[in-house]
Amino acid sequence: MLRNALRRRLADDLDVDDPKDPLGTLLSRAGRGDQSAFAELYDSLAPLLHGVVLKVVRDPAQSEEVTQEAFIELWRLAPRYDASRGSVRSWATTVAHRRAIDRVRSEQSSRDRTEREAQNRPIQSGDVAEQVVANIDGTRVRKALERLTEIQRQAVELAYFGGHSYREVAVLLGVAEGTIKTRIRDGMIRLRDELGVAT
Amino acid sequence: MSGTDIHQLAAAYALDAVDERERADFEAHYPTCAICRPEVAGFRETISQVAASLAVAPPLAMKAKVMTEIGSTRQLSPLLPDSVVDLATHRRSRQRMTRVLSVAAALLLLAVGAFVVGRHSSNANGFADQAAAVFAKPDTLSTTLTGTGQGSFKVAWSPSTSKVVVLGDGLADPGPGKAYELWLVDSNGAHAVRLLDKADGKKVRRVVTVDGHPTQWAVTVEPEGGVDLATGPVIFTGAV
Repeated sequence: MLRNALRRRLADDLDVDDPKDPLGTLLSRAGRGDQSAFAELYDSLAPLLHGVVLKVVRDPAQSEEVTQEAFIELWRLAPRYDASRGSVRSWATTVAHRRAIDRVRSEQSSRDRTEREAQNRPIQSGDVAEQVVANIDGTRVRKALERLTEIQRQAVELAYFGGHSYREVAVLLGVAEGTIKTRIRDGMIRLRDELGVAT
Repeated sequence: MSGTDIHQLAAAYALDAVDERERADFEAHYPTCAICRPEVAGFRETISQVAASLAVAPPLAMKAKVMTEIGSTRQLSPLLPDSVVDLATHRRSRQRMTRVLSVAAALLLLAVGAFVVGRHSSNANGFADQAAAVFAKPDTLSTTLTGTGQGSFKVAWSPSTSKVVVLGDGLADPGPGKAYELWLVDSNGAHAVRLLDKADGKKVRRVVTVDGHPTQWAVTVEPEGGVDLATGPVIFTGAV
């Protein structure tokens, strides 16, 4: 183990390929301006990022724009990727999700439809779970989501995929702000532990 | 927001479910917090796995568009090792650095001819949207200024858009005919960003455009309308 750690360390220092982290290797090459490495990275990440964006933005044409913007952003930021702060997939998801949130929030504020939505929009809680079931990769995630309480799951989904702030989620679910903050946190801790994400 | 409360925000932050003000507060806090930093990383990894189960391939034509566009898009420079936060030494060194930098900033402000780089670009209504846009940039660097002044200043700079969000809270009244003035310190010296009117008593809410790459921020009290060369002592400062 020590030898592996040492080898990884050496790989970092010498900036050579790490076979254990192919995406990290591609990203560090992309960070030096290597476009073919970025093309490979695109192939690996495109379905993940487009799925997130589509889930948040909903409109297919707008989603395509946002996914494309997210990839340009990843290219720009590639030299600043810091592997010690998370995996490439996690980092890329963060960038794409933030772009998607940006799009829906700016659209929302420009249309000033907050009030109407909060009052009239039904909560589509079963939505995400259904899609998850349909996915080959989804069994593990579905099982993990099932371990959450109903309110934890709704809170996490409305926040992340609905693009709502926790305060807005509190209004949607009719509970206090402080409560929803705790539910989101408890839900994420349980999800994390169920999915076996190292902390 | 109280100090104990802020740790509760890690999950909501990782899900992008906080408002721009909370995001600014949290981004000033979590990179140096031994509790929040690993939590944010873990929650992001977790939600990324959930997201992966919803994967949808984009249209094939997108790849060619992306590849064409990156060909004409400049990449950011990497962050230098110096700017990587070392959890163990950060707090201590920051206290020490603050004293050193305060003196250095004061000297720079007095010694170097300054020119105005700030351009007013915000009004009360547009602030929230503009600030949100800055905080949405993954490259945005947030700094909490420290010093002898009452209250607090936070400055968030997005290098890719050259926009700066300035948040001042709990500030003392600078006095009749006086105003807070922000200074951008870079390798050429100190430049005035004359923007800090006291919009609402103790608060400052501003989004401005700046030129260049600041290495440090500083705040002084100056005659209303601003000056190009600092006359007052540096009361807040922070390294970018």
